[in-house]
Order: sequence, then C-alpha cells, then structure tokens
Amino acid sequence: MELLGNLGLGLGVALSLTNLLYCFLGALLGTLVGVIPGVGVLAAISMLFPLTYHLDPTTALIMLAGIWYGTTYGGSTASILLNIPGTPANAVTCLDGYPMARSGRGGVALFMTTVASFFGATFGIALLTLFTPIIAEYALRFGSAEYFALMLMGLVAASTISEGSAIKGLSMMTLGVILGLVGMDTQTSTVRYTFGVLGMLEGISLIALAMGVFGVAEIIMSVRRVKSTDIDPESVKLKAIKPTRDDVRRSWFPMLRGSSLGSFFGTLPGTGPSIAAFLSYAIEKRLSKTPERFGKGAIEGIMAPEAANNAADQTAFIPTLSLGVPGSATMALMLGALMIHGIAPGPTLISDEPELFWGLIMSFWVGNIILLVLNIPLIGVWVRMLTIPYHLLYPSVLLFICIGAYSASFSPLNVWMVFAFGALGYAMRIFRFPGAPLLLGFVLGPLMEEHFRRAMLLGRGDFMTFFDRPISATIMAITGLILLWSILSAESVKKRRQERARSA
Amino acid sequence: MYKFDYTDMAAGAFLIVVGLTATGIAVSQYPLGTFQRMGPGMFPAGLGVLLSFFGVILIIQGFTRQGMRPDIRIWSPLFVLGSVAAFALIVVPFGLIPAIIAIVVLSSLAELKIKVTSVAWLCVALCILAPGVFKFGLGLQLPLFRWPF
Repeated sequence: MELLGNLGLGLGVALSLTNLLYCFLGALLGTLVGVIPGVGVLAAISMLFPLTYHLDPTTALIMLAGIWYGTTYGGSTASILLNIPGTPANAVTCLDGYPMARSGRGGVALFMTTVASFFGATFGIALLTLFTPIIAEYALRFGSAEYFALMLMGLVAASTISEGSAIKGLSMMTLGVILGLVGMDTQTSTVRYTFGVLGMLEGISLIALAMGVFGVAEIIMSVRRVKSTDIDPESVKLKAIKPTRDDVRRSWFPMLRGSSLGSFFGTLPGTGPSIAAFLSYAIEKRLSKTPERFGKGAIEGIMAPEAANNAADQTAFIPTLSLGVPGSATMALMLGALMIHGIAPGPTLISDEPELFWGLIMSFWVGNIILLVLNIPLIGVWVRMLTIPYHLLYPSVLLFICIGAYSASFSPLNVWMVFAFGALGYAMRIFRFPGAPLLLGFVLGPLMEEHFRRAMLLGRGDFMTFFDRPISATIMAITGLILLWSILSAESVKKRRQERARSA
Repeated sequence: MYKFDYTDMAAGAFLIVVGLTATGIAVSQYPLGTFQRMGPGMFPAGLGVLLSFFGVILIIQGFTRQGMRPDIRIWSPLFVLGSVAAFALIVVPFGLIPAIIAIVVLSSLAELKIKVTSVAWLCVALCILAPGVFKFGLGLQLPLFRWPF
C-alpha cells in the first residue's frame, strides 16, 4: 500500500505542467540527438546541463533523464532507415533493421522496435521501482569503509570493462579524481591546485569538463568527416506499419529475454545498454531454430536488442539513486545535477526527497509514453533531420556549449575551462584514452576522499579497516577479481594477436 | 608502423609528469597529517604516485608492442578551439552578438572551404535564435552589445 501511495505521489509530481513540459523537451531533444549522428548523448546532456541551474532539481533531472532514454529511441530510427547507428547502443539494430527497411518493411520495423523499446523500458522501470528502495534501505547500514569500497569498485569496473586498454581507463579515472579535488577542501578549508585563480575555489566546473571532453573533442574529430546523408526515398516510404501475426508471435520471447538481460547489465558499472544490446542479439541468434534468417531482416534481431538497451537505460538508475554510485558517465552527470542543488546522493535520498525520487521514476513512464507518441507519427520529420549538413550543425553546437558554460557563473573562466578540456579531450582521442572514467572519477573524487579519510579515522589509521568489515571486504575482493580478470584478458588478447601475426 | 608504441610511451611520460607534479605540490604545500588524521595533502599525494605508476606501466607496455602513427590533425583543433577562445575573450567586453559571430565564423573555417553565404545565414539565424532562447526565453543576464572604451 505504501508503494501505491508513493507511486501516486510521484505521478502527481511527474504530471505537473512544468515537469510534463520539460519531460517532453528532454524526450524530444533526446530523439533528435539520437537520430543525428555526430552528436552524442553526453554532449547533448552537457549542453542542456546549464539549464538545470535555473530549474528545480526534480525538473532538471526529469529533463536530463528524458534526453538519456530518448536517444535510444531516436537511435533505432537512424539504424533501421539508414543503416547508421545514431548511438552505439543501437548499432546492432542495423543488422536486421536495415534489411527490413530495404525489403519495404521499414514501417513495421520502426513500429515494432518502438513497442520493444517501450516494453523494455517498462520492465526496467518496474525493477527500478521495486528494488531501489530495498537496496537503499540495506545500504543505510553502510559506513564510510563500505562506501569507499563501493565507489572504488564502480570506478575500477567502469575503467576496465569498457573498451580499450585497462591501464588507460584506470589512469583516466585517477586523473579524474585528482581534478575533482581542485578547489577548497571541505574538511580543512585548504585550497588545493587552484594556482592562484580565484574562480577555481569552487573547483573545476563539471559542465566545462563534460562539454570540453565530450562535446568539443567530438566536434574536432568529426569536422570534415561526417557527411550528411542522402536518403533513399524508397526506404523511408512507410507502406504499412501493421505487423503480421507471425511478427507478433516471434517477438514475445525475444522482447522478454532482451528486457531481462538489459535490466541486469544496466545495473552493473561499466557495461550498460551497448553491451546489453549486443549480447541479447547474440543470444537470440544462438537460441533461434533458424539462425540463417538473422542479418536478413529477422524481427527477433531487432526486438531483443531494442528491449535490452531501453531496459538498461532505466536500470542504470538503480545504483545511482539507491547508493549514489553512478555506473556510467551519463549517470555521473545526473548525480552532478543533484549535487549542484546541494542534494547529497546516497541511500537517504529516497526518504529525504521522496517527491524527487518517485516523481523522477514516474516521469520515466510518462516520458516513454511521450516517446511512443512522438516516434511513430513523426518519423518523416526525424529522417529529414539527418539531412542537416554538419557544417551548419557544429558551429551551432559550439555556440550553445559556450553560452551554456558562460551562463553557469557569468564568467569567461568557465569558457576557458571548456577550451582547456576540449584540448585535453582531443589529446585523449589521439592517444586513445577513454573519457568516461575521467568524468566518473571527477564526480566521485571528493566523495571518495571524504569517505576514505573518515574510514581511516574510524579505523585508527589502519588500512585493514577496508578488509576487516565483511561487506567492505567482499566488495574489495570483487574489485580485486575485476582487476585480475582485466589483466588476464589483456594477456590473452595479446597472445592471440601474436599468434595471428605469426601465422600471417 | 613504428617498432615500438611511441604514442603510448609519450602518453605514459605525460602521466608521470602530471602525477609527480600533483604529488610534489601536495607534499610541499599541503599538510599531510597522519594515516589516522589525514590532512588535505595525503589523498592527492597518493593519487599522484598512482598516476605516475600507471604511466610507468604504459611506457613498459609500449616497449612490448609495435605502434601506429597517430592521426593528428592541425587545422580542425586550431579553428574549433580558437573559436571557443574567441568567445571567451569577446563575450564580456563586447557582448553576445559579436561573440556569436566570432565563434560561428572561426569554427566554420575548420571546414577549410569557406561558403560565405551559408556562414552569413547561419550567423543571422543564431544571432536571433540564441538570444531568443537564453536571454528572452530563460531570462539570463546577457547583454547583446557592449563597448568597453
């Protein structure tokens, strides 16, 4: 009964006129960004991030979240109609979605993936509603040692599991934590690493860092490389969107399996929607009695991954909202939006800010319904967005980034930080260093230091305090296993590469 | 192809420099405290050492494998970052509209072929759209024109 009351409270918040408006705005922008290749989710969220200063925190989070799950919807449209994945999470949808569009079944594919997305999201939201309060209540017993261990595990997992070299991920995470310490130390008021710049007392701006490393660096990489697309009018023409009875029959189980798999991977740090989508495609292909149909327009091949990535989008909020430990760079930005408003993320969030928590969750549902309505009738509009030439798009994006950074504190210092982090971000692309661990480390850095210092104080200066307490010790052991696994898998990759070089 | 992975080695060297600088500043300028009562210098000093350690590993790894020539572009970062810098320099003394024109024109040069009419139209459109959204829509304090002299 308590749950129903909470859901009612949340629905009331989510359906207020302002929140509805910003939910719509977020979903719309998310779809747009998802459709247009060359503008990523992180760039979009950080572009709109400055707005959150002027909004109520609940409204701000509703809008940012709308962008996040909206891109996954929009991305599938580009995948199916043009064979271009709008976001990495939709890449696998191209495999069977585009052949469907080529054979005149594009309308069916779009309709069915929208249904799958909605199904997956609903599945994820249900788990989110049920499990977040339980985990949060359990986590209330955690002390500083447990928190430090949890954050360390989140960072290590996110740095080593994602693409590329584990060492590079770990080093970016460390650099991120150091950058997070810039400014005034909360415990002793010592000013650290500001190099005498007065405006840096409050620390490095999260927005400037995100917009520089993800927005500006992305633009530098894409200029003169992204070609605006010519659209084959045949593939866009939607002859019929009504699926056959066979389509519906084949879709049920892939959708269910995709949702479960996606929900699981969404909660883990470092995995998220892309990996969930790829794995669920692979599983469908293996389970299928007719695997030869895959790659030629099998409906299972679009339903499972689209259900999986949307479910993962939603369950990614479970660790973020229940523990205050984000598993991806996007979730770190969500936490950043909370922290800017002075709301401490963690297990007390649900009891301290019930309107924010339940309102946000119910807004996911509202947002997904908005997306359902937006996507089907407006397909033609989205597709036309793809024809906007990049040489008009990127100066506009840059301008919005700069105005956003400037308006955050009305000082050009933030714009200079965008400049510096844009340069750093471009260097990171050249040297193939991942950006997500940097941002995660940056957001978690000050919290980690606080918990580390407190845990050491309570543990009388003995590092064993992290290994004496059972929960903390378990988490540390898992972290150790992740590190070990990443070293071993790097070795096996190297060995395979050498063997291939020898046989060639 | 290089005999060793020089890009990774260069990156490793950079990490070592940053790490040691961070540790050096922390040790020399901020109180370290004890393990039980840590001062503001302890945590960053440790992180700096950790970062340098990763840098060393990266350099060692670089010796064990061949490397690719990195794909470095000169004009794109120059114009894109230059336009951001121009915005930072212009927006306070001269106001929003000159800053918009500077950023659009400079960043468009990154395409390396200048289409005067399309850049001009983009300037006009953004000079209407951006103040419309930020100044009049959101009510931010952004003067459109200013004259510092």
